[in-house]
Amino acid sequence: MVQKVLVVEDEELLNRQLCDMLETAGYEAVGSLDGVNAMLAFKSFNPDLVLLDIQLPPTSGIEVCKQIRAISGVPVIMLTAKTDDEDVVAGLEAGADDYIFKPMPSFKVLQARIEARLRPKPVPEVNELVIGPLVIDVLGHEVRRDGVRVPLTPLEFNLLQTLAEAPKQVFKREDLLKKVWGYHYDADTRLVNVHVQRLRSKIEDDPDNPKIVVTERGVGYKAGQF
Amino acid sequence: MLAGIFSAVIGAFRRSIQLRYVALTVAFSAVALVAVGGFLSYSIGNGLFHTRVEQILQESKRATLDVQNTFNSSGATDVVSLQVLVNAVVPNLEQNVASGSRRVALLRTPNQATDQFLQSPISSTLVDSDIPIAMRAKVAKTENRLVYRTVTLNVSGNMEPSVIVGSKITIPIAGQYELYLVYDISDAQATLDFMQSTLAFGGLIMILLLGIVAYFVTGRIVGPVARAAQVAEELALGALDKRLPERGQDIVATLARSFNQMAQSLETQIGELSKLSKMQQRFVSDVSHELRTPLTTIKLAAEMLEARSGELDEKAQRSLDTLISQVARFESLLSDLLEISRYDAGAVVAELEPNDLNTVVKLAAAGLEPLAESLGCALDVRVPKGEVIADLDRRRIERVLRNLISNAIEHGSGKPIVIEVGQSKSAVAVTITDFGVGMSRNQMDRVFDRFWRADPARKRTTGGTGLGLAISLEDTHLHHGWLQVTSELGQGTTFRVTLPRKNGGIFTESPLPLGETLSQRKIV
Ligand SMILES: Nc1ncnc2c1ncn2[C@@H]1O[C@H](COP(=O)(O)OP(=O)(O)OP(=O)(O)O)[C@@H](O)[C@H]1O
Ligand SMILES: [Mg+2]
Repeated sequence: MVQKVLVVEDEELLNRQLCDMLETAGYEAVGSLDGVNAMLAFKSFNPDLVLLDIQLPPTSGIEVCKQIRAISGVPVIMLTAKTDDEDVVAGLEAGADDYIFKPMPSFKVLQARIEARLRPKPVPEVNELVIGPLVIDVLGHEVRRDGVRVPLTPLEFNLLQTLAEAPKQVFKREDLLKKVWGYHYDADTRLVNVHVQRLRSKIEDDPDNPKIVVTERGVGYKAGQF
Repeated sequence: MLAGIFSAVIGAFRRSIQLRYVALTVAFSAVALVAVGGFLSYSIGNGLFHTRVEQILQESKRATLDVQNTFNSSGATDVVSLQVLVNAVVPNLEQNVASGSRRVALLRTPNQATDQFLQSPISSTLVDSDIPIAMRAKVAKTENRLVYRTVTLNVSGNMEPSVIVGSKITIPIAGQYELYLVYDISDAQATLDFMQSTLAFGGLIMILLLGIVAYFVTGRIVGPVARAAQVAEELALGALDKRLPERGQDIVATLARSFNQMAQSLETQIGELSKLSKMQQRFVSDVSHELRTPLTTIKLAAEMLEARSGELDEKAQRSLDTLISQVARFESLLSDLLEISRYDAGAVVAELEPNDLNTVVKLAAAGLEPLAESLGCALDVRVPKGEVIADLDRRRIERVLRNLISNAIEHGSGKPIVIEVGQSKSAVAVTITDFGVGMSRNQMDRVFDRFWRADPARKRTTGGTGLGLAISLEDTHLHHGWLQVTSELGQGTTFRVTLPRKNGGIFTESPLPLGETLSQRKIV
């Protein structure tokens, strides 16, 4: 099955270049030049992944990302020329799974990131995991709390599942980047920090005093003991 | 305790002009008032006393005359009638007095040829010993004049200031007698005391009032000055919009006006400067951002072409290589510029975490292995056993090391490069030594300058911009560390990075040497 990528980028030439290269690489790509069109294209094209530029007129990429997240958990990779930390963090907090700076080291790097987001998870060994008040339905890709479904993005789900599968293990941020994001080289560990925060805000009773995803100071994160 | 209060008072004096002037005013006026008051009370007291004594002497003179006349004119010759006369003297004189009370004694002058046969009458509250012996001797010797003394007498427990007036009386037959009239002058003393205490009280009130007046007057003068001082201080601390109130036409208003003018021009100039520098920083950052998108397009397009390079002829292939390498160079220049502009804008925060320096060094060296290999030089990495943990912003330190190692490779003339890690309790260090072209003293001084390169025409394989060391220096300073260099022309160069082990830690010495001559450190 051909996978579909929506490219949201206001610079027409870059947009076309990206679409061309994606198509050469075997994806089905659709480009869209602004935020409003992007939402329309998202609904009609129904992509498997979104490449999203942050500086978009008139609605910013961050706004578009929020709108996408409101209706879908589809992986979003941000493209950004801004290297200021606040912009990266703002994008991740809006729900983006990953980001890549312009100019990226090469198209191959971008492709590797895309593939990491689209790669199907290996068939799990167990069907259900329990961590505190949460029940993780691994096959159904669902998390329930007291029978009520908690809406998580696929990435957040993977993050929680990874922690829950090895309840005693402390994961370093680098380990999580490798396991959850599929990075095999050094990358920004803030990705992990921001997504752990987002995950906590969805599953914890008190996100400032987390019980399910616990910070191990100076090391990383682990699943809480119940 | 006492010393503490003392030094606190001294301190308050040092700090407050107003307090000093109030104290000075009070001290001077106190001295003046004590002088004036003392003089007044002395002369008033004197006046009072003299009038009283004058009056007493008048009365005494009359009384003495009366008594002497009584005896002279009586003609009594027998003891009994004389005694009657003598006895009448005391009650007579006690009663017939113009003001106050008077006590009386009629005493026989001792050591006379004849014997005493008359009794000496004396007022009931008076005793012989109240009359000083010296006075009695004086009276005995004095003719036709009154002798007086001021004394304090004990009258049934009360000390009464009194004046004793003595004179000689000759009683026919009976011989020489002395008449003593004792006047109580405590009423005059009381008047004097009252006057003195009124004076003292008035003086105190006066001093207090003067103090208060001095406080307000100095306050009027010191107040504006103090306000100006405070505003100047706030201004110096960066509150550039602070101003003084301008009221009236006097010297204080002039001070305020010129102060405000000064502050205004200061504010305008500083505002202008910071606006300019902000604009410049924004400009650099905007330019590099704006350039990124087209750069990405060019880069992707070149990559697409590269994938099809089999279809190109040799010349087109070379053009493509040039395109790719120059795009890469352009990109690194852009990111260096952006990084520098971030530092200039003060927008850089270190993310310090415990990291193993050995790992960071090995990673940086491994990343440059291909470049080293292409220039035929070996990288000799020497790290201590185990881990060298320090608080590092790993990304930045790796960048510093990458730049230093790539510089060494570029300028190392293909000879081996030694990379050494050292540690002490308080610091960690890395030295990167090459045995290549080296630098002169002058070149060494400029090596950390932006865009500076020893020889701009020198062949560059990595497309340097001359920003690398400037950024490395900022990165080490961000860690509160050192970046130092020593070099000898034609011999080689050593760069040394020294960082505190703990964030905010202090070190005075680097764990690795730098000054050693390079020839001594030749590798085997
Ligand atoms: N190890 C060395 N031996 C001799 N000269 C050196 C050495 N390291 C630096 N230099 C001199 O200092 C200059 C500035 O170095 P710097 O790293 O700042 O810039 P660059 O390497 O030219 O460019 P880039 O910004 O890509 O690093 C170099 O061009 C070179 O002339
Ligand atoms: Mg350099």
